[in-house]
Parts: sequence; C-alpha cells; structure tokens
Amino acid sequence: MKKVAYYKGCLASLSAKELDTSTQALAPKVGLELVELEAVTCCGAGDIHEAEPDYYLHLNARILAYAEATGADTLLTICNVCTLNLRQANWQLKNDDALRERISTNLQRVGVPPYSGGVEVRHLLWEIAEGDGYELLKAAAHKGLKGLKVAPFYGCQILRPSKILGFEDPDRPWSLERIIEACGGEPIDYPAKIKCCGFPIIQAREETALGELIQPIEQATEAGADAMVTPCPLCHLSLDAWQSKLRAATGKDFRMPILHLSQLVGVAAGLEESELKFKRHVVSVKPVLEKLEV
Amino acid sequence: MSHQLAPAPGSTTIEVSLKIWRYDADTGEKELKRYDVEAPDWVTLLDVLDIIKDRQDGTLAYRKSCRMMICGSCGMRMDGAAVLACKTRMWDIAQSGHVPVISPMGNLPVIKDLVVDMGPFWNKIRAVKPWLEPGYDEVAEKERIVSQQQMNVIQKEALCIMCGCCVSECNSMESDPEFLGPAALAKGMRFVGDVRDQTAVERLNDLNSEHGIWDCTRCYFCNERCPKGVDPRDAIAKLGAESVKQGIDHDMGAKHAKWFVHSAKTTGWLRETELVPKTQGIVSAIKQTKFALDLARHGKVPPPFPPHVADRVQESRALYNLVKEQGRDGALGIVQGEHALGRIEFTEEAGMKSSDPEIQPGVEPPHPEE
Repeated sequence: MKKVAYYKGCLASLSAKELDTSTQALAPKVGLELVELEAVTCCGAGDIHEAEPDYYLHLNARILAYAEATGADTLLTICNVCTLNLRQANWQLKNDDALRERISTNLQRVGVPPYSGGVEVRHLLWEIAEGDGYELLKAAAHKGLKGLKVAPFYGCQILRPSKILGFEDPDRPWSLERIIEACGGEPIDYPAKIKCCGFPIIQAREETALGELIQPIEQATEAGADAMVTPCPLCHLSLDAWQSKLRAATGKDFRMPILHLSQLVGVAAGLEESELKFKRHVVSVKPVLEKLEV
Repeated sequence: MSHQLAPAPGSTTIEVSLKIWRYDADTGEKELKRYDVEAPDWVTLLDVLDIIKDRQDGTLAYRKSCRMMICGSCGMRMDGAAVLACKTRMWDIAQSGHVPVISPMGNLPVIKDLVVDMGPFWNKIRAVKPWLEPGYDEVAEKERIVSQQQMNVIQKEALCIMCGCCVSECNSMESDPEFLGPAALAKGMRFVGDVRDQTAVERLNDLNSEHGIWDCTRCYFCNERCPKGVDPRDAIAKLGAESVKQGIDHDMGAKHAKWFVHSAKTTGWLRETELVPKTQGIVSAIKQTKFALDLARHGKVPPPFPPHVADRVQESRALYNLVKEQGRDGALGIVQGEHALGRIEFTEEAGMKSSDPEIQPGVEPPHPEE
C-alpha cells in the first residue's frame, strides 16, 4: 500500500459526493492508503488565483503543508482544477527559496506547520495509468466493462499548461484510453476530448460556456459512445447537469451518461451502488448498467 | 542556378513529407495535398514550405518574414496545434515516419491555403489601446528612470510577437468570436502593468466589458501554444487581480471569483449553493429555479445550512488578514511566482545558469522617492 495524503476538494465534499465515496472504496484495490486531510480549504479553483493571487498561494501552501505533515510524499487529488492549482503553487514554492521562506513563515505565524517542499501533487488518474497502480487496476477490474464504448474526456487543467502538469502529451494523451482498455471497455476517439467543457464561466457567461460544452457531448454522441468518463468533477458537473440546457438550446435529445473516473473503474472492479452512487447523476446511468448487467 | 538549401557541412539530408490543406476563398475549393521533399536535416517547417514552393508548387500561399521567431508571421497549425513554422524542427517527425497535416490557424478567416485574415486580430489589439498614456505631452527635462523590478511586472507580456498562435486555439473565442482573446488581453496587461502609464483604472474598466477578461474559460491553450512564453492566461489572471484590487467588480466573473475568496476565509470550503445568487444576483438566480430544482433532485444542490466548515478555518482567515497587511495584492501576487515558473523552461540542461539572476521578478518595485 502506498500511503498518500488525500485532498478531495470542494465538489467531492458537496455536489459530487459520489466521487468521494467511489474513490474511497476504490483506493485499497489499486494500492492506495488514503490519509484524508481534514484541516484544509478550497484550492481557490482558479478564482482566488484571479482575484487575490497572493492569498491563493498561501491557501495552497497550507494544503501542501498539512499534506507534508502526514508523512506522505504524495498529495492525491481527484479534480483537474485542484491538480493545477496545487501543482502550480508547489512549483513556485519548490523552486524559489525566498518565496517559500516568506510563505512558510506566514503559515507558521497563524499556527500552520511549515512547508519544506517535500510533497508531489498527483491526480488519481496518473496513479492508476501506469506503474503499480496500473497493474493492480488490471487485476481489480475483474468484472470488466464488456466492450462498453467509453468516450474519454480529459478536460483542460490536467493537460495544460504541460510545463506544470507534465504527465503526458497534452495533444495526444493516452492515460484514460489505457484505463478504459484495462477495464475491458472500448475507448472512443473524438477531437474535443482535450478541449474545455466551459465550466469556469458557466455562471458568468452561460452562452459562451454552452457553446464549448456542446462539442464533446455532440461528438461523443455521434461517435457512438455509451458513456463518457472524466477525471474532473467540474467537467462532470457541466457535462452531466448542464446537458438539459443543451437539449433545450439545440432541440437534440442528448442523453449521455457521464462517469467519474473512480466510478468507471469502480464498476469494473465490482463496487456497490452505495459506493458508486449513480443515483446522484442528473443524466441517468441506467442504460450503461443494463448493458453491463450490473 | 536554382535556389537550393545547402546542407551544412557534415550534415545529411532527410525525406520530409507534409499534407497541406490547400484552400482558395475565391472558389471555395479545398484539398488535402501531400508533398514529399528531400531536405537538409536541420530544416524547420518553414524551410520545408520554402522548398515546396520553390521546387514543386509555386502557388502554395503562406506568410513569412524573419525566419527567426521574432516577426510573428508564420503562425499555422501542425496536426491541429498552432506553431511558428520557423521554430518547428522537422527532424524527429521525419524520422518517426509521421506525415503531419498542416493547416491555417483557427478562429480567423482563411484567405488562401495557410494565410489567414489577421484583420479581426488587429482590431482587438487596437481595441486595448496598445500605446503608452503617460499623462503628459511635453518631453521632460530629464530622463524618467524605470527600474528593472518595475518592468519585471510586465516582462512576459512584453515578449509577445503577435503571431496569433494563442488566438488560434482559444476555446472561448470559438464560442464567442467577439471575445477580446488572449493576445489582446496580454497586450492590455502590458500597459495596465506599466508603471509609466497613467490610465490603468480606465483601461481595467474597458477590459471588464462583456467580451473582456471574464470571458476567459481557463482552457490554457494559449499558454500551451505561445511560442514566446508570454502565458496569456496568466496575464488575464493578473488583469482580474488588478481589477479586484481597484474595486472594479461589477462583472459576474469578478463576483464569482470574490465569492471563492469569501468562502475560503469564512468556511474554508466553497459555499457552492450560494455561488449562483452571489454571482448572478437574486433575480437571475430565481429565473434558474426550475433548473436548480432538477439538480436538487439528484443532490447537486447541497443545503447551505449548516455550512460545511473546514477544521481550523480560523487559520485561513488569519492568513487572509496577514496577506492583506503585506500588500502583495493585485498582479504582484502572480508576478512573484514567475521566477520559479521560469525555471521549468530554462533548466540547466538548456545551458542556463542555475544561480539566482541579478534581476528578481516579483520583488516589489521600490517607491520613486527611495
């Protein structure tokens, strides 16, 4: 078992609780021992970076400090936006001694442990797409996906900017496809899989956001996907919950089930509905479950 | 004697193949055409296009000028990703046997082959008033010295060569063609952050328009594609931070961002259910009631009471107060991180010194009287 500090972020605590429960249930099967961080806050979701960037850096340094205090060398994330925000802050803190010293001093002044730069921020996707995690995943996915056609949707902030994320080629990513195949599914290819779902501006600029959201939904539907899978709960929320607005805007009857990464692998690994919580989805997952005879 | 690219002494030649989208706006004809050439092993994509035009097909249209990554003329797409043709070496691609598809940049109308109409691009650059407004007309009697630290605030933005690679893949602009976009907004920051400019607040008000900074969807394609390290998305974030600092927060995007700050210092976690009314206002939020009820049926609208409060949340509140005292608000909060981020690109392997440079981006600019 690899001990990791587990940072679930806002959405998995709130509207996407199914992401948290499925991740917690899946973790031991892929060799991860989760040490959940309790005294942490939101990473700022890019918004605090844009409104109060110095505060953003401090909040993320605080999360990193509490992760380091667990003794784990990995901070596990399950959200693209958390991953970018934390990795960006971590790069800055690790590679600029003066900056880290100032912020670490500030942390200690308010009672937070210092941060020495000893943590690596990694998304669950990366943990199970290669190495031991991948080998365990293959063994765990015994129930399989029975050839289910799955459209991978990466979202933006696990790919770009690649100088901060850096796990895979941002234009030709492979990790989700590899996992879908390992679970016995068939990955569907389509151009918008690396594009934006529109979520960051879905409230302030809904029309612009929907113009982005329609691309992956439409392309995956036309490519014959049974479901889409995403490593990001924000992408999940726009793809799943805002699909009804796409229906209203276009008159097309989109009914694409959207799975969190941990749910897709979880189904293949035989997790229970109480852990997967598909009932919390807006677009019904029933057609997928019927196909898999779950 | 025909114009030939001679191999450098000791170098060899390689076979390079391209598939190029040929297009003529006058006739509407479109064709993906393959070209195979023999070229010196050091060629760039631009060199290969030159060879094709010179030896095989004089009708091929593309823009070029300096051939050394400074004029910004030769932006185009290779396998769907915007690149400067003169910066793109072909050796690895040719060796792999892959035949890349070359097409014009996105988000701009195509005139012929790889040539796009840059008109909409320049209109947006013009809209951000890309000139200095120093607040005086007459030449001063002595020089007004600007420190390096002060210029570091806009160092990255000043690198822009206006090639359009960022605009090509801007996801927001695909959906809203009127979005000012990454190049114009980075140019806007280049003047907002210039200590000599006296119109920062006026500029920020303009950039907080409907198609301004809060239209950015944070897809980060611009940072990924920029061949000069401008990082336009970071420039847009700097503009957001400067706007909030100046109290320019009428846009829903600014209200949305400020609610995250408020959430972090009150409960620690995002106060998700209150985000919609706090962003859009009560009236708009009520119009969304049917949509919200549908979401609520699936547990997507967590009850705001009792709030989900993080352990030791008083620390994040205390941190906020401390940060405000230290005065690195606005764009400086982002600029201070650029020194470290720069190291990702300029590693020791690339031959750069690992010791601290004399110039420290992020160090607060000294006050003029000091």
